[in-house]
Amino acid sequence: MISRRGFIKGGGLALFGIGLGGIPGFVVDAVANTVNSPLYKKRKILVCIFQRGAMDGLMAVTPFTDDFLKAARPSLFMTAAKGASNEKPLIDLDGKFGLHPAMAAFEPMFREKRLSIVHGIGSPNNTRSHFDAQDFMESGTPFKKGTTSGWLNRAVGLLGHEATTPFQGVSLTSSLPRSFYGENPAVAIKNLADFNIQLRGNAAGAKMASKSFEDLYDQTSSDLLKHTGKESFEAIKMLQKTDVKNYKPENNVVYPTSALGNSLKQIAQLIKMDVGMEIAFAESGGWDTHFNQGKDSGVFARNVNDLSTSMMAFWNDLAKYQDEVTVMTMTEFGRTVAQNGTGGTDHGRGSCNFILGNSVNGGLVHGLVNPLAKENLEDGRDLAVTTDFRSVFSEVADVHLGIANDKVLFPDFDGKKIGVMKS
Amino acid sequence: MKSNIRNFYWCAILFICAIMCSSFVRGIGFANKLAMPYKKAGLTTEQAAAHLLSRFTYGAQPGQVKEITKMGIDKWLKNQLEGDLKDDELNLLLAKYDAINFTNTQVDETFPRAPSIRRFAIDQGYINKDSVSTGNRKHEREGLEAYMKTKGYRPQQELFRQFFSQKILRAAYSNNQFREIMTDFWFNHFNVALNKPQCAAYVPAYERDVIRPNVFGNFEKLLMKTAKSPAMLLYLDNFTSSGTNMPMSDRTMEMMVNQTPEQKRKANERLARTKKAAQNKKQGGLNENYAREVMELHTLGVDGGYTQSDVTQAAKILTGWSIGPIGQIGYGAAAKKTLERIGEQKMTEQGYVIEGDFMFAINRHDNSEKTVLGRKFPAGGGYEEGVELLKMLAEHPSTAKFISKKIATRFVNDVPPASLVDKMAKSFTASKGDIKSVIITMVNAPEFWTEEALREKTKSPFELAISAVRSLNAQIDRPYELYSWINKMGQQMYYYQAPTGFPDNGQYWINTGSLLNRMNFGLALASQRIPGISLNLPALNNNMEPESAEAALLTYSKLIIPERDLAQTIARLKPMLNDPNLQQKVAKAAEKSNADKQNNNINSMNMEMEKPDKFKLGNGKKANENPVIKQQAGNATMLAQVVGVIIGSPEFQRK
Repeated sequence: MISRRGFIKGGGLALFGIGLGGIPGFVVDAVANTVNSPLYKKRKILVCIFQRGAMDGLMAVTPFTDDFLKAARPSLFMTAAKGASNEKPLIDLDGKFGLHPAMAAFEPMFREKRLSIVHGIGSPNNTRSHFDAQDFMESGTPFKKGTTSGWLNRAVGLLGHEATTPFQGVSLTSSLPRSFYGENPAVAIKNLADFNIQLRGNAAGAKMASKSFEDLYDQTSSDLLKHTGKESFEAIKMLQKTDVKNYKPENNVVYPTSALGNSLKQIAQLIKMDVGMEIAFAESGGWDTHFNQGKDSGVFARNVNDLSTSMMAFWNDLAKYQDEVTVMTMTEFGRTVAQNGTGGTDHGRGSCNFILGNSVNGGLVHGLVNPLAKENLEDGRDLAVTTDFRSVFSEVADVHLGIANDKVLFPDFDGKKIGVMKS
Repeated sequence: MKSNIRNFYWCAILFICAIMCSSFVRGIGFANKLAMPYKKAGLTTEQAAAHLLSRFTYGAQPGQVKEITKMGIDKWLKNQLEGDLKDDELNLLLAKYDAINFTNTQVDETFPRAPSIRRFAIDQGYINKDSVSTGNRKHEREGLEAYMKTKGYRPQQELFRQFFSQKILRAAYSNNQFREIMTDFWFNHFNVALNKPQCAAYVPAYERDVIRPNVFGNFEKLLMKTAKSPAMLLYLDNFTSSGTNMPMSDRTMEMMVNQTPEQKRKANERLARTKKAAQNKKQGGLNENYAREVMELHTLGVDGGYTQSDVTQAAKILTGWSIGPIGQIGYGAAAKKTLERIGEQKMTEQGYVIEGDFMFAINRHDNSEKTVLGRKFPAGGGYEEGVELLKMLAEHPSTAKFISKKIATRFVNDVPPASLVDKMAKSFTASKGDIKSVIITMVNAPEFWTEEALREKTKSPFELAISAVRSLNAQIDRPYELYSWINKMGQQMYYYQAPTGFPDNGQYWINTGSLLNRMNFGLALASQRIPGISLNLPALNNNMEPESAEAALLTYSKLIIPERDLAQTIARLKPMLNDPNLQQKVAKAAEKSNADKQNNNINSMNMEMEKPDKFKLGNGKKANENPVIKQQAGNATMLAQVVGVIIGSPEFQRK
C-alpha cells in the first residue's frame, strides 16, 4: 500500500530541479518550449468535466430537421438556416444536427475530426433527480447506491503501474467529488498556489515551520503519516519550481475567467509541470435551466460558450501535448423535449456529450436520436437514452488510458462499445 | 477427591449459568459492569484516563487527565454513558441559533428550497421573467430579497450554517462528550447528506431528534426511528416507492358508500389517476434504494447473507413508508392535503399510520405476500410487516457482528481484532441490541488497551480541529470559520454524498493535500489567524512565560498531548529552536505579522450572525517603536509558532 507511493525515489526530483530551477532563464525557456523529455514514462491524460445541473443536449446539439422538436419548443427552437431571423443560426454539422452558435469554438475541431459528439447518452436508471443521477454516474453503478468508490478512482487503480506521484488523480475542486471516492490516491486542489505551508504575513515563520514539519513527519512511527508527509513536501517542492500564480499560457491563449476556465488552466499547468497526473476532474455549473434558458443568447448560450471556449483555450494552450490529452464532458441527464411554461426545460433523460482529442473518432455525431414523435420518447416526454454512459466512458478510458478491465471499472455493465474512439 | 472435582465442576457450571441467566434477565440496560483491565496492560490510571479521553471525547482539555483520574475513571465513563450532564454554558452559546430548534414544519415554513422560492417569486411577479434570460442578476436578487422579506422566508444556507455551528460548539464544549461522539458515529452510520436538496432541510431535526437522544439505547429503536424520518425517507427515496397492486381500491369503494355523488365522482377520478400512474411506471413505482441500503449499510452488512430477491421483497414490504403531513409546502404537503380531506380517524380506519412526520400510506403499499431471508410475510400485512422486517434485521446475527465491528473500528483500531468483535457481537445479541452493553464489553476487553489500540487511530479533520480547540481552551465566536478549515482539510461535514458515510480509516483522511492543510491549520490557529477563534496561550501555563523556545516546546507539548511519549518529537524540534538567529527572525516576523493581522481582522469582520473577534495583541506600530513590546511580541509569535507546530505534528494527528 505504501510502497507504490515511492515517490521520486531515484532522484527524479533533483533532476527536475535542475531542469526548471537551477539554470538560467533562457535555458529554462528553451526547455519549456519543447516537450520535456519526461522524467516519468510519458503517460496519457484524461480530463473529465462534469456539467452539473443537466445540460439540455437538444439545444446544445439540435436535430434541427425534426419538426416534432420545433413544435414542442415554440420559443426555444433554433434553425440552421442563415438569415432566417435576427438570430445567429445553428452551425450545421451534418445536415441533421446543428451546433449551438455560442459553441462556434468547437466547429474547427469537429471539422478536423478531433471532436466527437454522442447524442442520446444517459443512464439506464431513469431517475430525474440531480443528486441520484450524478451519484449513479459518478459511482458508475446506476442501480446501486452503496458503491463505495467512484469510477475515476477505480480508473486510477486500473492504470496498471505504480503511482509515482501524489498527483496521479487530481480534482480541481475543494473536496473530492464522488467520482474520485475510493482507495486509490487522488487529491483535491482548488488552487495550486495554496499548496504550501502558509502563515500569512510571516513568510519566515512559515519557512521555519515547514522545516519543522518535514523533520517531524520524517521521524514519526506511523507509516501512513510518514510517507504521506514525505510525499507532501516533495509535492510542494515540485509545485514551487514554477510560479503558479503568474502562469502564462502558450499561443496567446486567454482562458475565460470562469470557474471552469480557471480549473482547466490549472490542469494545463500541472500537465506542463510534468507532475505525473493521469486523470483530472473539473466541474461546470448552472445547467439546470428551468427558466428562460434563451436561444442564441441568454443563460444557456453563456454556459455553452464558457464550456467550449474554456475547453479550446485549454486545448490550444497544450498544443505540444495534444497527443497525450483527451477531454470528455458529462452531465447527469438531459431535459424535456417540450419547453415548460417558463421558457425553460425540465428534467429529462438523454443528453449529449463532447469528447476532444487526437484519438477520438471525431467529426461525427454518434449515438441514435429517433424522430422526437411522442411514441419515440421515453415516458412520452423525453429524449430516449440510446447509449449507456458507461459504454462511452469505458471506451474512452480503454482506448486512451489503456484500461482493460471494464468489469472493475463498471461492474454489471455489458461492455458494448459504439466506436467513439479510433480503434 | 473425585467427588470434590465433580462438585467443583457443578459449581462452576451453575455459576456460569447464573451469570448467563442474569445477563439475559437484565436484558436491556446495564448488562455489564465496568471492569477495565488497563492495569493488566501495564498502564497507569493517568494513561488509561488519557486513552479514554482520546476515544470518548473530542480531545482532552488542559488538566482533564488529572481531573478524571481524581474523580475515578469508572465513574467518569459511567457519567458519559448516561450522557445527561448539565450543559448550561453550552446552551448559552447555542441560544443565538434559533433555527436549530425548529421542527420540520417550522423549517418548511421558514426555509423553502431556493428553486421553489425563485419559482414563487417569478409567479407572483417579484422577478421579471425577462430578467432571467437577460441574466440581470441584480434585479433577480433584489426581487428575491423583497419576496422573501414579505413572506418571512430565509435562505436555507442560514439553516445549514446554524446547524454546522451547533455541531462544532457541542463537540467543543458539551460536557456530554461521549454522546456527541456517538451522535457523530450513528449519524455517519445512518448517513444522510445535504448534497441532496430534497432531504437537506430535514437533516438538522434528524440529528437532533432521531440520532442524538438514541445513541446509547437500543439499536432496533434507532433503526426504526431512522427508517421513519423524513431525511432518510427522502435521501434513499423510499418516500416515492409504491406497490403494483393497490389494496385500497376495494376498500376505497366501500368507504365511498356514504359519499355524495360529487364526492364519488371525484374519488373515482382520483382512483383512475392513481391506477394509470401505477400502470405508467413499469415497476409499479417500486424503489429499492432504501431496502438495499438498510440491509447492506445499516444492519446486515454487504456479506450479511441476503440476496437481490430479499432486497426486492423488502422494498415491497416498505412501500408506503412515506412522509407525513409536515406542512403546507414541501414534501409533506400531499399528506397534509390527504389528512385535511379525509381526516385522521378515517385514515387510521383505512390502515394509514400517522406518527409525527412519518406516514404509512396504505394506498401505496404493496399488499402481496413477501419472503425475506426465508421468512414469510403473509399478504395484507400493512404497516406492521415493515416493523417486523426491521425488527428481524436488527436482531439478525449478521447485524450484531456488523455493528460491533463498526464500533470497534471507530474506537479501537482501523482493523479491529476479530476476538474483540466476537465478544461485542455476543453482547449485542445477549442484550438484544443494547448499545451501552456493547460499549462496556469493548472497554472491559483487554484488546481495548493493547499497543495496537493506543493512539492507533487517525483523527478526522473534524476531530483534529475540535481537539486542537479543546487542548488550547480556545474560544469559538465564529464556528463557521472552523467549519471552513475542516472542509479544507478534507471533510465536508454533512456533505458525504454516498450513504456509506465517511470511511473510518486513516488512509482515507491522510493524503498530501489534506495533510498540508492540517499543518497550516495548526499554524493558523495558534497564531490566531482564524477569525473568531481566540486563545490565550500564556494562560494555559498559568501566565508564566517560558524562558526559551525549548522550554516552550517542553511545557506546551505536554499540555497539548498529555500522557504521550514525546521524546522523539522534542528531539527533532530542538535543534531548530536553538538556532541563534531564531529570536531575531521571529521578532522581525512578529512586527510584520501583527500589522498584517489587524488588516486581516478588519477584512473578515463582515460575517453575519457571528460577532467580530477582538483585537488581542498590541498593534504593529508600537512594537516597532518600543523595544520591550517588541520583545514580547517576538516571544508571543515564537510561542504561537511552537504551539502551531505541535498541533500540526504527526503525534497530534493520532488519537
